[in-house]
Amino acid sequence: MNWVDANCLLGHWPFRKIRKNTFSDLKEVHRKNGISYSLVASLNSIFYNDPFEGDLELSEIIKNTGYRQLLTINPTLPGIEKDIEAGVVLFNVAGVRIYPGFHGYRLTDECVAQLASILKQYRLPLFITVRMDDERLVHLFRPETVKPEDIRAFAEANPDLPTVLLNIRSNEIYNIRDLICERKNLLVDTSGFKGELFIVERLLETINASAIVYGSLHPLYALRSTMLLVEKAEVDEETKEMILGKNICSLLKKCR
Amino acid sequence: MIIDVHAHVYLREYSQNVRDIVKACNLYGVSRVYISTISTMPYPTEDEVAKSNETTYEIMKEHPDLISGYCYINPRHEKSLDFLKKGIEDYGMSGMKLLVDAFCDDPVVFPLVEQCIDYGVPILVHSFIKAVGQGKEESVGTNVANLACRYPEAKIIMAHLGGNCYHGIRAIRDCANVWTDHSGSIFRRDDLDYAKEQLGAERILFGTDLPDYMLDNIGQVEEADFTPEERELVFYKNALKVFDRHFRPKRRRVCMP
Repeated sequence: MNWVDANCLLGHWPFRKIRKNTFSDLKEVHRKNGISYSLVASLNSIFYNDPFEGDLELSEIIKNTGYRQLLTINPTLPGIEKDIEAGVVLFNVAGVRIYPGFHGYRLTDECVAQLASILKQYRLPLFITVRMDDERLVHLFRPETVKPEDIRAFAEANPDLPTVLLNIRSNEIYNIRDLICERKNLLVDTSGFKGELFIVERLLETINASAIVYGSLHPLYALRSTMLLVEKAEVDEETKEMILGKNICSLLKKCR
Repeated sequence: MIIDVHAHVYLREYSQNVRDIVKACNLYGVSRVYISTISTMPYPTEDEVAKSNETTYEIMKEHPDLISGYCYINPRHEKSLDFLKKGIEDYGMSGMKLLVDAFCDDPVVFPLVEQCIDYGVPILVHSFIKAVGQGKEESVGTNVANLACRYPEAKIIMAHLGGNCYHGIRAIRDCANVWTDHSGSIFRRDDLDYAKEQLGAERILFGTDLPDYMLDNIGQVEEADFTPEERELVFYKNALKVFDRHFRPKRRRVCMP
């Protein structure tokens, strides 16, 4: 079974020096940790006026490799459908990733409803970045953290849209556990699993293993930290395989 | 070997915390852990501090091969020096822990630091600069540097890399008597590389903030750009040195925090 990192990025992060942000660095840390490939998004796209320009750069870097691209969309911009169509045709994107906290909108805004509608049409999953960094450690710019009530409202309004919540904390997961348990297509990644010992084991008492996908938030976070949380968890091997690869592969298979 | 220089139990749930800590240390290969017991935060009463330290002592007795203790002190208390003496002399604790009850460079802290110098024990200072939610008397790197400058003989551990390491580490990088631990909820991949570049691996200590974290912190050390020798320093060798009561910092300091 291939292990997959559903949350990693390449590019420039303007708030501090990132030492391991080349594609070679990413492949190396994945190789060392047994990860076969990943869903990678462009850090540049978060900050460019036109995010698609960052995705064009990223597609050049990862083309002809096993890595799949997540297209960055800022739904407040005009013309996002054309970007999504181009992403599908040119890059075979695995999904769309959004950053509400950086781009200044809420999940309950009309532009997000329109995006969801386009994604359903293209049968693409949505990856929602709840946060990128610890709120206490931000520098120069304070992006809003996506509110749990907004996640709930969005998820309830779009029950048939496969959605992955990235860098969501355990207390936030507990708040929406009913939704996660009810739905088979609302998943969380591991990059936000902070704040308690044995966190994988304890979350699995609350949500199904099928709702968790492995994501590192590399290069901002240490990939090895999240990998150890899964590797050392006192759960059976099948559960680990689900988290480390099967669940995201299953989600993607149901999409395009 | 791994030595965790920064862990806690919470008074209200200490039995469960201790079970978790012992289990985690066994599972993840941690040989020794230095704990303090926390009750109300900030500004616990004298009774609460006394109870906290009694609890730490009981846990130390239950797990002598694994758990050592810090004496937790609220420097605002009249009896704080007595509490410190009781903790080090009667309970056999290994250091003093300061939280968020007074800035660490407040004069009320000075007699306590002087006593720690006499004992040869380190002082673990919670230090965290925050973009949001800064505590009223929550020390940051510059407070630690001020204290280190006043007392170059003191062995000081700046916890959590000072929160935002790009502030905390800059503040203490010229203070040879300050080490730093990377405990707690700071998971950024580059923080330890930055700490090594600025301080050298010799001044970085492994810490977790148990009972909340551990594997995250181990993963950070494993992934950071350390040589195998430097990783050993961080995981345990530096801690052995800092907690050695005969070890005294070199009196070398450029006083410009």
